[in-house]
This record gives sequence, C-alpha cells and structure tokens, in this order.
Amino acid sequence: MSQPVQKGNYDHIIVKKPSAWVRMKKYAGFYLMFLPVVVVLFIFYYAPMYGITFAFTNYKPNGKAAQFVGLANFQKLFSDPTFWSSFKNTLIISSVNLVLATVTSVVVALLLNEIQRAMVKKVINTVLYLPHFLSWVVVASIFMLLLQPNGLLSQILYALHLIDATSLEQTDWLTQKNCWRIVFYVIDRWKEIGWGTVIYIAALAGISPDYYEAAEIDGANRWQQTLNITLPSISNTILVVFILNLARVLNIFESVFVLYNSAVYSVADVIGTYTYRVGLKPTVGLPNYGYSTTIGVFRSIVSLILVIITDNISKRVRGYGLV
Amino acid sequence: MVYKFSLTDPRYRGRSIFAIFNFIFMTLLMACMILPIIKVLSDSFNGDTVYGFNLWPSNPTVDGYVYILVKGGTEYLRAFGVSVYTTIVGTFIGLLLSAIGAYILIQKEMPGNKFFGYMFLFTMMFNAGTIPLFLVIRAIGLYNSLFAVIFPLSMNVYNLVLMRSFFEQLPRALFEAAEIDGCSPYGIFFRIVLPLSKAALASIGLFFAVAFWSEYVHYVIYISDTAKYNFQVKLRTLVIDDTFTFDGNYNASLNTVKNAAIIIAIIPFLFIYPFCQKYFMTGVTMGAVKE
Repeated sequence: MSQPVQKGNYDHIIVKKPSAWVRMKKYAGFYLMFLPVVVVLFIFYYAPMYGITFAFTNYKPNGKAAQFVGLANFQKLFSDPTFWSSFKNTLIISSVNLVLATVTSVVVALLLNEIQRAMVKKVINTVLYLPHFLSWVVVASIFMLLLQPNGLLSQILYALHLIDATSLEQTDWLTQKNCWRIVFYVIDRWKEIGWGTVIYIAALAGISPDYYEAAEIDGANRWQQTLNITLPSISNTILVVFILNLARVLNIFESVFVLYNSAVYSVADVIGTYTYRVGLKPTVGLPNYGYSTTIGVFRSIVSLILVIITDNISKRVRGYGLV
Repeated sequence: MVYKFSLTDPRYRGRSIFAIFNFIFMTLLMACMILPIIKVLSDSFNGDTVYGFNLWPSNPTVDGYVYILVKGGTEYLRAFGVSVYTTIVGTFIGLLLSAIGAYILIQKEMPGNKFFGYMFLFTMMFNAGTIPLFLVIRAIGLYNSLFAVIFPLSMNVYNLVLMRSFFEQLPRALFEAAEIDGCSPYGIFFRIVLPLSKAALASIGLFFAVAFWSEYVHYVIYISDTAKYNFQVKLRTLVIDDTFTFDGNYNASLNTVKNAAIIIAIIPFLFIYPFCQKYFMTGVTMGAVKE
C-alpha cells in the first residue's frame, strides 16, 4: 500500500479532504446568508406542493372541512368535456404559435442580417423589440380598441368594401369564434416577433466571415450562401430555442387570459384559464379548490414529462441538458 | 466585404434589388409595430367620439389625461403609486434573492451545493399550480397584501440561473485573495462580487422591473382590495368597463380616457427604454448563447 518515501518529492502526499462537518463550519456564514432565499423558496414553491393533496379532496370554501374523495376528481377530469376542449386548445394554440414564432423570427433575423449599415440596423431593432416590453394588459387594451366595433380594423375593411355597415357597427373581432385564434396569433407575433430575433442575431454574428469569403471565391451567390452556410450554422440554435419552448407549451396563460371572453371559450379556453375559472372565479357556485388542484396537477405532470423528453433531446443534440 | 449599391452595374444589380425590397419590407414591419401605438397616442389627445382613420387628433385636448390624473379622483394616481412601489421594492428584493442564490451556487466546495442546485432546478420543472399557491398565501396571511405579489415574482429561478452564469465568469483568485486577507463571505459578496457584476445587476434588474411593472395576474388572484391594485389592473378594468359616464365638463370621450390610460401605463418604460436597451440584450444573449 505505502510506497517508500523519497526525500524532497511530495507528489505522493494526497491532501485528505476535510470532513463534511469541518467544511460546513467553514461555510457557516454562507448558510446563514442563504437562509432567506431558502425560506422564500420553501414557502412559495415547496409548501404549495403539499397542497397537491387537495386534488384528492372535495375542498370548497363552504365552511366545511375538506373530505377525502380518492380519485373521484381524476375520474371527473377524464370525463369532463370542457377540460378536454381546453387541453386541445392549449396544444393547438401553443404549437401553432411555436411554429409561427420560429419561422417568423428566423426569417426576420436573416433579413436584418442582410442590412449593411449598423445605424439603420440599430433603429430597426429598437422599434421591433419595443412591443415585447409592453405588458399583456397594455397589448390587449391596444388591440381591443383597434378591433372593437367601429374600430380601426372594421373601418379599414369597410373602406375597402369588405364588410357592410352593420358589421362595421357590430363586429368585435375578438368575439368571433372563427377568427379568434388567427387574431391571437397576429397579436402574439406583433408583441414578440422582434424579441424572438435577438438570439438568432447573436448566433448570426458568431459565424466566421471566412466561410462567406471562401464561398464568394467559389462563385456562390448570396442565396446559395444563405442556404449552405448561414442556415446550417444557426440550425443548432433554432433547434435549441424550439425545444426550450416546447417544454413550456402547457404554460400558456396570461396572453389568452387577457384576450379571450365568454363568446370564444370553445376555441380559446386553455388549461390555465380553465383552472382559473374553476378554482377562483366560477360563473356559478363556489370555487372548487379540490377539482382545480386536480387540473393543475395533471397539467404539471404532463409538463414534467415534456421537460424530461425535451431535456433528453437537448442532451442528444448539444451534449448538455436544458439548464 | 463592402458592396456598392448600383442598379446599372450587373455585378451588384441582384443584391441592390434585394436591398431595396428588404428595406421596404423592414419599413412595413416597423410601421406595423409603430402604427397601433401612434393610433393610441393620437386618440388619447382626441376628444372626438367618432372613431376615424386619423393618426393626428382632430379635436385636440388633454382632458383624457386630466381625467385620469386629477378629476377621476385619486384611484388612478394611487394605482400608479402602487405600480411604482412594487416595481422598486420587488426589483430590490428580486435582485437580492437572485444574487445571494447565485453566490451560493458558485461555492463549489460548499457541502450541499449540488443539492441547492437541484432544489432550484426542480421548481423549474414542476410546480404545484395556481390553487395550492393561493391557499398557502391565504394560510400565511399574505392574502390582500402586496407581498403576495412581490415574493412569488421576486424568487425567479430563471433570473437566478442567469445571475449564476454571470458570477461564474468572475476570477476565483479574487475571492481566494480576499478570503486569505480575512474577508468574510458577506464582505466578499458586497465588496467584490456585487461591484464587479454591475452590468449583470443592471440587466437582470431591468428584467425584474419590467416584470413587476407589467404584472396583472397575481393582483387579480391574490388581492381583492381594489385600493391595492396596480395601474395595469385599473387599465384593464377601465378598458373592459363601458359603464361610466362623464358630466358635460369634459372635452373627452370614454375612448379618449382609455387611450390616455394606455399611454400612461407605457410612458415610464418609454423613457428608460432607449438608454437601457443594451442591458436587456446582454441579459438575453448571455443566458442563451453559452458555449
């Protein structure tokens, strides 16, 4: 086991790691400092996890104690048509939005990248990023006024003779079942199109100019350069952004919450908004804490599965996980 | 490589035509971004009840603003105050929690470091949902308190992870030198880590500030006392509500007031945006393009 000790050579000496207790004492100050963070994290993230048990009760704010009902809430969930409609809407709205977001942001980033003058580029960037920083309430307010009866959109359509005077005075574009989703996608793009390009612009800036010079010498035109150099160079970034967002598809809430209304529940209601209506502001009766917790738990579990799947894809594609 | 703009020289013609189309496209896109805001701005100064195409007030008045700031009672001013208060306090608490959390996460030798990391990570992957959090907040007596909005939002794990990646780039030798010189963990944190991370603090601080200023959902869920609503909630109520009437003293329609309220909600941000844009950018590219 032991080797003969040579004079003047200390390589064989292995410094033994101090025991955990000694190290913990050394870091005592750090633990104390960390305490407030742990407390906040515990109260607002971990304590609610205990509340998941309400999913197995019939808890309502009716003065009675919560009764254990087993899996009754889950049975109700699986046979609740409103829930499945909201689940379907969530998937459709989120995934269409995700695809639209990826395509538009990449295209705009590529076009921005073609602009030679830094000054012009900067002005365009500043304008395009702006709506991202407006709150959803402000964005919804702006568009509710533009899309209201007699609003700007109706006026334009009327001037183009696409709608008649009655629709001009009566159509609120946010209450139309057949076009609510399209209106939603357009508003979401208006808000996020510029901001979505930031990451691609950063990736584009990282491509070595040598590639383009070599391609130029080989006689490739700009379109061929885009197809064969630019797109392959940022394809990894596109994929990463895509899977990061994929893990969050069920989280959509605020954007829908401020833009939907009772007239379009069948096409606009998402899991988040349905949970809110069941658990906090029901139109009839008492809020059902038990059942809405069940919906939340179901959503969290599906989300977790999505995160694990995307994390695996991420590991395969770029060698490390989501974070 | 520099390209000449020329429509006659065949070597540059294709590229120049593309540049023209690209410029037209970008101009149209910018117009789409800006026009809704211009329309709101114009209508906020327009006393007419008739809604038109105009992007310039046909019946100029400031009564919409006067109504919100003075005549409408103090409820809007108070809501504005609540917005300012929560933004300042929330940003401060948020930065403090993120910086401390990030500082602990970079102490690789600290026992429990890995565990703390997973503790944060898990909250990103799984959360209990709205109702359990609502019940906890009610149980600890924070219902109807502004802290029910401030705390859940200031503990933002994404920002904390972002802060960690900033901190990880600080030279470790500095910490070790300070430690040898007898500096406490707090001393290192306040005298070395924070002063060296001004850019990170500015950038993450702005994210927090925008989030707090824009918050709406938490108020609706955790607060029922209308005196504690922020400006976003007031704006929302005003835009949805069609019931209130004016006496004849105003040269303003309901539409004028609604538009004026939107502009007031945007204005603080518009003032700082041009100066802070670079910090927003640092934050995003920093967290996302790590190699």
